[in-house]
Amino acid sequence: MGMRWYVIRRLLWTAFATFVILSATWGLLAVTPNQSVDQLQFQVASAGGSAEEAAEAFRAARGLDRPLHERYLDYMTNMLSLNWGWSESRSQRVTTAIAEAIPYTAIYSVPTTILSILLGLSIGLYSATHQYTKTDYAATFVGFFGYAIPNFWFAIVLLLVFGVNLGWVPVVFDADAPLLSGRMARQLILPVFVLVTGTIAGTMRYSRAEALEYVQAEFVKTARAKGASELRVLARHVLRPAAVPLVTILVGDILTIFLAASYLVEVVFGIPGLGQLSFEAIVAQDTALVLGTTLIFTFVAILGNLLQDIAYTVLDPRIDYGDR
Amino acid sequence: MSGDDTPGPRSDDTSGPRSDDTSGPRSDGPAGPTEEPVPGGSDRPGPATDGGTVAGRGRDGRDGRAGRETFEDVDWSTVGGGRAVLSRRDRGALASVAVVAAAFAYDLLVLPSGTPLVPGPLPWDLSQLDWLFVLSLVLSAWYVVVPLARNRRLTRHYWRQFRKNRLAVASLAYLGVVFAVGTAGPILLAKPELALTKQYQPPLFVGVDPSVPIRCVGPVVEGACRGTLAHPLGTTSDGKDILVLVVYGMNVSIRIGLIVPLIVITVGTTVGTVAAYAGGMVDEVLMRYVDVQQTFPAFFLFLLLTYIFGGSLFLFVLIFGFFGWESIARLVRSEALQRREEQYVRAAVGAGAGTAYVIRRHLVPNVSSTVITATTLLIPSFILFEAALSFLGLGDPTVPSWGQVIAAGRSDLDTAWWISTFPGFFLFFTILAFNFVGDALRDALDPRSEGGGGGGGGA
Repeated sequence: MGMRWYVIRRLLWTAFATFVILSATWGLLAVTPNQSVDQLQFQVASAGGSAEEAAEAFRAARGLDRPLHERYLDYMTNMLSLNWGWSESRSQRVTTAIAEAIPYTAIYSVPTTILSILLGLSIGLYSATHQYTKTDYAATFVGFFGYAIPNFWFAIVLLLVFGVNLGWVPVVFDADAPLLSGRMARQLILPVFVLVTGTIAGTMRYSRAEALEYVQAEFVKTARAKGASELRVLARHVLRPAAVPLVTILVGDILTIFLAASYLVEVVFGIPGLGQLSFEAIVAQDTALVLGTTLIFTFVAILGNLLQDIAYTVLDPRIDYGDR
Repeated sequence: MSGDDTPGPRSDDTSGPRSDDTSGPRSDGPAGPTEEPVPGGSDRPGPATDGGTVAGRGRDGRDGRAGRETFEDVDWSTVGGGRAVLSRRDRGALASVAVVAAAFAYDLLVLPSGTPLVPGPLPWDLSQLDWLFVLSLVLSAWYVVVPLARNRRLTRHYWRQFRKNRLAVASLAYLGVVFAVGTAGPILLAKPELALTKQYQPPLFVGVDPSVPIRCVGPVVEGACRGTLAHPLGTTSDGKDILVLVVYGMNVSIRIGLIVPLIVITVGTTVGTVAAYAGGMVDEVLMRYVDVQQTFPAFFLFLLLTYIFGGSLFLFVLIFGFFGWESIARLVRSEALQRREEQYVRAAVGAGAGTAYVIRRHLVPNVSSTVITATTLLIPSFILFEAALSFLGLGDPTVPSWGQVIAAGRSDLDTAWWISTFPGFFLFFTILAFNFVGDALRDALDPRSEGGGGGGGGA
């Protein structure tokens, strides 16, 4: 009973947080001067027209002359009904532009997530069971390296070495390649590699630390003593209790790192996904598209947080939800 | 890129493993300095307080063992007043801040704009950011250097702990060099300027095809243009010296690395302690706000704010500072909640100490080591965010930051690899160094945690 109530409250809280974030974004946009008005005024004035009238006409056309609460209500309705406006730089609806970009983001983020979790977990577990060996130190080093190296710079260097000098991978991303083809896979090797090295550090170090708590536990020793195989000990007795806190890391923190990293990686490699869409919108001062793409990333993060909390409650029956 | 450093699953105060094992005062751990002499000759009676940030914890921790400290000697009629809430160090810090503020007012109101505040052979006209930088230097001197210098014994103890990690010592030395060079460099070195005749000069000991630079400044040996000592790290596509650019980039990074933590620590600690101590509605509202801020992914918040307000370095510092403190606030709150229940706090309250006194003298010093460690691990993410935003071209065009130089060299990678490479190396090593130092700090300041435990590395 406690758990269901907790999940419901968590859902309501997510809705409220989304509402607050949307309102805050609206507030920010409402108080900042609209740059396109200035541009328009300048254009009209240089063409010999009245700048004031043009600005008025522009405001009226955009509905900016209406009272604040009407504009706010309008904005919120549009946001909730997925009517996110018109992208002027791309001459298409914001939602259409986003829908077109999502496959390109998914095509590399799905393999990255799977690889990063699998590799991170297994290396972390190995490190925990072989603590203070050379492999453990090497793994820790790789973890530090992957975390500390700036993704965008690493991507550039790899592109130089493997794309330009060795010619193993194409330098320019070919968006026309079919999504599930060898050609696509070849040009996604480097982005996936860069992202995995960046995100694996967290998974690895967390799983190592979590598993370490259980490697010397009494019940693990008992399992060994009664003759359970090493694999069974690892999977059933170490990984299971360690999985609970791990889930929270995997979903929440990894997601945050991943979102920011993928943004830069897309820009460097020229993958026409959400990150590059957002970046191009910023360069073109296309406010509707900037807002839409930023909010998409934010919603993904909010959803990740929600899933993480729910997973936590489902996985760990010991937690008391009385006062949460 | 998140700098979240929570050893447990999350810093949620109820669920993390961290909260289970902190029933006793922290320095009860095996490594705690147990036989430190009672701070005799202190100018003030009462539970030790002057230790402040790092040192204070050890002392206050000792207060927990009732009877050892001369608690009965406290004359609460003198400590109860406003004067006692501020220690002598606080008053010293306040005085220095007042001096900085006066100088700022003088520069702003009296001096005609354009006149440098510091005349002489090295004129120095302070920008808004410079003022913040000076302020954070002053405050870190009072709250980090002074306590460390006054409490030598504890400092030596921490240093012994810290020294065990040789990588961290090397990192600290590296960061010291970056700090010194980055602070002094821009004052001594002229800003890199456009010099089209010196384009694409290779770095020292490297030869490139003479067709790469328009005119080879160095000697041409065996058909290859060699680098010269005039430009040890080479030059960019517009002839700017990369070494100078790197030094200026250090300046940007140490500003981010010093001013942002100042704001983050101030806001985070205030919100955390107030929430923990006030409880009820205040706690609820503050923490729900923290939740919302944490839900918004940092990078996209910064991206959106940069888009809306434009990206100057000053704005970056404010944005990172005022929107990056939520993890600190959570940590502080959960720590302070535990501390509040400790015997020494109850004793102080029972003896009539006021809220401000308890927060200032007992809660803040006791959470300071957590805050310092967490902040050290947060700094690299701010530096990375700045580099990333500059790399995207959304940064401050007037300030040569590392990210900007990396972006500038991107298109010339196949002919002039050195442009992007050197700033990248410095960025990489700086982030790595902060991580090593943060990890070693945690081991040194927190005897409970095992080395390598938790999800350090900020990732």
